[in-house]
Amino acid sequence: MTAKDGEDTATANRRQRRHMLRAAVADNMAKPRDPRVRSKHARATAPASTRAAGKRGTILAGIALSLVAVTAGALMLRREAGPDMAPVATPSPVAPGVAASSSSLPSPAVPQTFEAPAAVDRSVFPLAVRRVVVDAGHGGADHGASASDLAEKDITFDIATRLQQRLEDGGFEVLMTREGDHHLSLRERVQMANANHADLFISVHVNWFDGTSVPGIETYYLGATEDPELMALAQRENRESGYSLGDLRQLLDGVYADFRQDESRRLAGKVQRSLYRSLLPVSPELRDRGVKTAPFVVLVATEMPAILAEVSCLSDRREAERLKRPRYRDHIAEALFEGIRAYARDINQTIEKGT
Amino acid sequence: MTDRQKVLNVGIDLGTSRSAISASNGQRHVVESYVGWPVDMVARKVLKRSVLIGSDAVENRTMLDLHRPLERGLVKEGSKKDLDAVRQLLNHLLELAGIDLEAKKRPSVRAVVGVPAEAMRVNKQQLRSTLEGAVDSLMIVSEPFAVAYGLDALLHSLIVDIGAGTSDFCIMRGHFPTEEDQRTLVAAGDSIDENLLKLVQEHHPEAQVSVYMVREWKEKHGFVGKPQGRVKVTVPVKGTPTEIDITDDLRSACESIVEPLVETMLDLLPRVDPEFQAKVRNNVILSGGCSLLSGLRPALQDGLDPIGGGNIQSVKDAVFAGAEGCLAIALDAEDEDWDRLVS
Repeated sequence: MTAKDGEDTATANRRQRRHMLRAAVADNMAKPRDPRVRSKHARATAPASTRAAGKRGTILAGIALSLVAVTAGALMLRREAGPDMAPVATPSPVAPGVAASSSSLPSPAVPQTFEAPAAVDRSVFPLAVRRVVVDAGHGGADHGASASDLAEKDITFDIATRLQQRLEDGGFEVLMTREGDHHLSLRERVQMANANHADLFISVHVNWFDGTSVPGIETYYLGATEDPELMALAQRENRESGYSLGDLRQLLDGVYADFRQDESRRLAGKVQRSLYRSLLPVSPELRDRGVKTAPFVVLVATEMPAILAEVSCLSDRREAERLKRPRYRDHIAEALFEGIRAYARDINQTIEKGT
Repeated sequence: MTDRQKVLNVGIDLGTSRSAISASNGQRHVVESYVGWPVDMVARKVLKRSVLIGSDAVENRTMLDLHRPLERGLVKEGSKKDLDAVRQLLNHLLELAGIDLEAKKRPSVRAVVGVPAEAMRVNKQQLRSTLEGAVDSLMIVSEPFAVAYGLDALLHSLIVDIGAGTSDFCIMRGHFPTEEDQRTLVAAGDSIDENLLKLVQEHHPEAQVSVYMVREWKEKHGFVGKPQGRVKVTVPVKGTPTEIDITDDLRSACESIVEPLVETMLDLLPRVDPEFQAKVRNNVILSGGCSLLSGLRPALQDGLDPIGGGNIQSVKDAVFAGAEGCLAIALDAEDEDWDRLVS
C-alpha cells in the first residue's frame, strides 16, 4: 500500500466516523416513535377511567362506594352461601392414575388439589380495568413451538415485554408472569395472577399448524371444544399443568356459567379484531381464525377475564421470517394493546353510566 | 462552550451490573450499579448518609431500599426511584472523575452515555430527561455501538456485548446501526445467576443461599466447558458454615447462555451481504463483563462451525471498553454537535 493509499483509507475512515457521529446526534434529537407518542399522549390526556373520575368525581365516588359495598356484600355472601349461591367448580382431588392414563404427556408434580376459581357476580365485576397480568407463553427448557431458528418462548417474551411497555404508558399497572427466560408452570402463572388480584389475564402464544391448515391468528377464551385440532393444541399448551383434559372437563362444567366467560369473550373479540385489522396490511395471507373456546389451564383457573392470543403462526415460513423483525413484533404488541385498551374503555364507560 | 480549555469530555458506560467512567482528564473508575436509600430513621442514623452507591450499597443492603436501575437492561418506566438511581449513579461517577458538581466554576462537561441497547430503544427519551442537567451536553448511545466506535470496528464486524441484564448484538456495516442490525437477549449474567441459584437450591436444599452469593461465585469461578478443578464454596446450613461442591451446577448455569448466543449469531450472520459474510464471521468481538467467563469465547467460536467457522476475539479491557468507546465519541464530536445536544 502506498502512502497515498494509506492517506485515502484514513480519510475514508474519518469520513465514516464523522458520518456515524452525525447519525448518533440526529438519533439523540429524534422524537420518540409514533406508538409511544400516542401512548404518552393518551397518558397526558388521562386514560378513560381517570378522565371519568375527573369529570364526574362526586357521582363516581358514590358509584364506587356502592360497588365496594356491593362487592363486600357479595364476597361475604359468597363465603357464607352454599353451592346454589356460588356455582364454583370443586373438583375432587386428581387421582395420579387418572392423569397418567388419560394423557401420554409427562405430568410433573401432579397437584393433589385444584384451586378452584371463585365465581364472580355480574354486579360486582366491572370495577374498571387497572391491573393486567401479561403472560409470555412457555420459557426456560419449554421452548414451545420452534421454527428453524426461532423459539416460541423468545417471541412471546419479546412481544409481552413490548406490550407491557405500552400498557404501562397507557396508565395500566402491569405484572409479568415471567421476567426472563425461565421455566414457570401453568399453575404458577395462574397463582400469580390470582394472588395479585389482576383485572385481566393476557397470555401470549404463537401458533403452529401441522399439515395443510391455513395459517392465521386466533384468540381463545375459556370453553369446551370438540375440535380435535383445538384439543391437540390445548393438550400441547397444557403440557406442564399436571392435569389431563378429562380432569379439566370436569372443572370446566362448573366454570362455564360464570360471568367471567362473557367478559373473556368480549375481551377476546376486541383483541382478535385489533390483531387482525392491524396485521392484515402487513401479512396479507394471514387468515382471521376468529375467537374460539378451548380448555387451556391458564383460562380455567384464573379468577378474572382471561384470554390466550395466538398472535402469529410459526409453521408459516413467511410469518416466521416476519417474526424475526423487531418492527413486526412491535406491531403485534401494539395491536394487542389496542384491543385491551378498547375493552378497558368499554368497561370504564359502563361504569360511567353506572350500569 | 467553545472554550476548549474549560471542557471535560467523559464517556460513561451505564450498565446493569457495573457502571464505568473514562474522562479526558485521565480518570477511570468503575462502580457496581446499585443505589440504595436508608429505609428508615434508624438506618439513616447508622449509615450517616442519605444515599449509598456501588459496593457500599450492596454491603449495607439490609438497611436500604436497594435499586439496580437498569435491571434487565431497562429502566422500569414510571419508577421514580429507578430514575433517581440512574441520576445518582451518574452524579457519583462524575464526582469520581473529579467534577465538583456543586462548584460554581467547573469545566463544561460533555458526556456520552452508553446504555444497554434495549434501554436505548425503549427508554432513550426518559433517560435523556433524567440525565439532563447533571452535564452540560449529553449524547446517549447504545453500548455495542460505543464498543465498536472505540475499537474502530465500524465496518464488517459483529459486536456481542454480554452484560448482566442483556446480551446485545450489533452488526456494524459502516453506517449507524438500525434496529434491524441489532438484537437483544436476556440470556446474560443475571440469567446465569437465576439458574445457578435454582440449581444450588435444588441440589442443596438445606443450604442458605442468596442471589448475591451466587453472583459472587459466578464472577470468581464461572466457566464454560471442561472444569479445571472442583469448585467448592462455603454456605451456612442451619447457621453452620458448610462446604458444598457447585462445580456441575456452575457449569450448567454458565453454559445456559451459550446456545441462545450461538443461535442469535447464526441467525444474524447470514443477513449480512453475502460477499461480506466471511469478513464479519471472522471479526466477531466480545465485550461486556459476562464475556469474561472462562471458556465462553472458544465455546461461542465453536458454535460458528455450522456456517464455516469464524474468529471471535474478546476486547482487551471488558470493563472499560464501553466507557472508552463513549469517550472516543465525545472527543470526536465537534462543537456544532455538542451545541445541538445542550442539556
